[in-house]
Amino acid sequence: MWVTNLKIVGVVLGTLAVYTLIANEIPQVQSEVPQTLTLGSNVTPEQLVAAGDKVFNGIGGCTTCHGLGTRAPNLLTDEKGTGPIGVRCGKREPGKSCKDYLFESLDNPTAYVVPGYQPIMPVMTKQLSPEQVWAVIAFLESQGGTVDVTGDDIAKSKPAPPGGSSAGGGSFAGSSTDPKAIIQAAGCLACHKLDGQGQVIAPDLTHVGSRRTAESIRRKILDPTSSIAKGYEKLAGIMPKTFGTMMNAAQLEALVQYLAAHK
Amino acid sequence: MSDVALLLQAAADTSHAYGEFPVIGARAFVWITAEVHLMFAAFVLGVPMFAVVTEAIGIFGGDERYDRLSKEFTRLLLVAYSATAIWGAMLVFGLSTLYPRFWAYLTAIFAPSMWVYAALFFIESFTLYLYYYGWDRWKKGRAKVGHWTLGILLNVWGTVVMFIANSWLTYMMSPPRDITATTDPTTIKLWHAIANATWMPINVHRVIANVVFGGAIVGAYASYRFLAARTDEERAHYDWMGYVGNFIAMSALIVLPFAGYWLGREIYQYDQSMGITMMGGFMSWLWVIQAFLIAVLFLTGNYYLWIGMGRIPGAERFRPYTKWLLVVLVLGAIVWGTPHTMIADSKELAAMGGSHHPLLGALGVMSAKNTAVNLMILTTFLSFLLYRRANTRPVVPWARTGTIIQAAMFAIAAGIVLFYGIRGYFVEAIVRIGFSVYQVLAVLACIVGVTVIDILMARGAQSLGAIRWGQMPPRSQYALFILAVTFTWLMGLMGFARSGIRQYWHVWQVMQDTSKYAATPALGYASKMISLCVLIFLCLVAFVFWIGGLAEKSTFVAPGAGDAGVGKARDVGH
Repeated sequence: MWVTNLKIVGVVLGTLAVYTLIANEIPQVQSEVPQTLTLGSNVTPEQLVAAGDKVFNGIGGCTTCHGLGTRAPNLLTDEKGTGPIGVRCGKREPGKSCKDYLFESLDNPTAYVVPGYQPIMPVMTKQLSPEQVWAVIAFLESQGGTVDVTGDDIAKSKPAPPGGSSAGGGSFAGSSTDPKAIIQAAGCLACHKLDGQGQVIAPDLTHVGSRRTAESIRRKILDPTSSIAKGYEKLAGIMPKTFGTMMNAAQLEALVQYLAAHK
Repeated sequence: MSDVALLLQAAADTSHAYGEFPVIGARAFVWITAEVHLMFAAFVLGVPMFAVVTEAIGIFGGDERYDRLSKEFTRLLLVAYSATAIWGAMLVFGLSTLYPRFWAYLTAIFAPSMWVYAALFFIESFTLYLYYYGWDRWKKGRAKVGHWTLGILLNVWGTVVMFIANSWLTYMMSPPRDITATTDPTTIKLWHAIANATWMPINVHRVIANVVFGGAIVGAYASYRFLAARTDEERAHYDWMGYVGNFIAMSALIVLPFAGYWLGREIYQYDQSMGITMMGGFMSWLWVIQAFLIAVLFLTGNYYLWIGMGRIPGAERFRPYTKWLLVVLVLGAIVWGTPHTMIADSKELAAMGGSHHPLLGALGVMSAKNTAVNLMILTTFLSFLLYRRANTRPVVPWARTGTIIQAAMFAIAAGIVLFYGIRGYFVEAIVRIGFSVYQVLAVLACIVGVTVIDILMARGAQSLGAIRWGQMPPRSQYALFILAVTFTWLMGLMGFARSGIRQYWHVWQVMQDTSKYAATPALGYASKMISLCVLIFLCLVAFVFWIGGLAEKSTFVAPGAGDAGVGKARDVGH
């Protein structure tokens, strides 16, 4: 019976060993806690690229869409014969350098949308710090191109002191109170439709003023879960809760009144 | 979570928010105690389901062997309950001393349900004592039915206890959307917290998984006793028991993926980013491992059946088909395990020439995978059918027609599965998702329809000879061990997936984990923890079996003293 017992132990341990071995042979990806990125004025391109690699593949969430080839253009590999993003970024918009184009893509993603794709990208400059934004740009430039991001770019993008244009809780579209600019910068049309533009994932806003009062619209923007439109209960929680902290009071009021006027 | 809330939480963390456990650390201690407690909990919930069903077969089918089998497993439960409670207590001590802030938060919401939980566990334990110790006293007539009712009650208490515990862990995953980081936990309504988005899907998934687990452990127990048996009669008894355990485990396994789909769908609907993390984010490789494990389960389960056909007179006529069944299973496993949406770095993407492998990318999508798994389920069902019919020849006049109809049902189901699998490549994703429902319904309809016809066709069937229970090569019993180990490991893996998708949150987007263990480890580390937990659990289960053996001899009764004659075992397990 000892032989049988040993065989049983062998089968059990062998099975466990095989599973453990296979799980250790596959690529190991750990989910990190988001960390604050600090880069000084004398940061080197190599440091920027390394930091950008981590943001792109981690906290930035870029790979959720870029890299699948269906929701957004591939950036790290060839895209329809135009090469990786570092090669093609300087040719996207006439007169715009690679660095400027990439910054625009992150700061105002709907300004230029690659044909064949939807304007669904959020404003990354509101989700990432200036260090993270410029690190990602350096990383993308390094994909076949030349890295020309410097510490000065980061310093210039830092929030202005109190009283400046983008202080405190942040603001869309350079503090513009033009509701159309706010809507574009906030990426509302990635889910909502308004005046024939945008997606139909969330309720159509074309006649939102006939359904909601200004107060209701304001509350909905500040706290998206405060009320859910009928038929969209399953999408509760999808709308970001951060819009209230991403625009100033004047912008919020301009947006609310604009939408309330859409009867 | 707002910056203010983060600051408040950081300030709170300066107080005693986390403790430390020597050598292995706080996270590893809670991981091990939670996992081993859960495995024992699954054991003490799955085995009573097994026991009450087998007792019912014994009562209403008039076969006393089932009654004795049921008692044999209830005896093991007595010790297993103690182990469950001990590991549960260790888990509570661990949470309250190593994660006191989080534990205080949970108790602020769920305290009333925790008292109900304790009371029900108490009642459940006494029901078990009555059930076991009253077995020989209430063995005839209405008293026996009353005894069986105790078994049902035991399952009811156990299921409610599990539902309560599930509410705590599912709240951590999917707290209602109106609850934020600044919500005072004492103001949260208990039922509002319990009835969260993933509570019921987890409940259903775990009930089915417990049946699978119970059957697998029963199979492993029987295989050990088979290998240790000293007489042919004893070997026959445990061979039969192993077959019953495997049959129940594999039958429940077939429906488990459907419950899993429901859970996955609810996770996506609750929070798409959580769903993407689970299926396309850092956990994407986990599903390749899961596919491998399930492939092992299907292949090993079928292998056990095919070996078992060697002890059935008349099964020779079906043997040529098994190689084709094997081909379908292997091809299905390969397709199911094909990676698709993976986290890959720039070098890996460049090496592949794109985000997907040019050749394998087409097989890694859900259309191909759903098709593969449904065909694997159909194939396994066909194996069971061949096994069931092996030693009989139907005599009803419509037998040939019935067989043709059965074959047609298989062909139609496979055709529907293939049609929607191929069509899925040419439609939008939202339409494609709907196709999986048609595929599942086709397979389930085939299983139900074919089974009904088979039962009717088996009436008065001519026997080609009795099953030669006990005449199984030892390798078949080691296959049962592999099944038990794989089921247990898979349970640990899925537990990691469910818990890990919260990433650095104790309660998703409500309470952040600010301890030094906040990062969610990679699969390699997780696999070592899972293997360790499985090993601890199996060692303790072996101890439980040994203790059970000391207390009383097995329920096996030699021929002459009962009706466990090998020759009479023809219908057993069919």
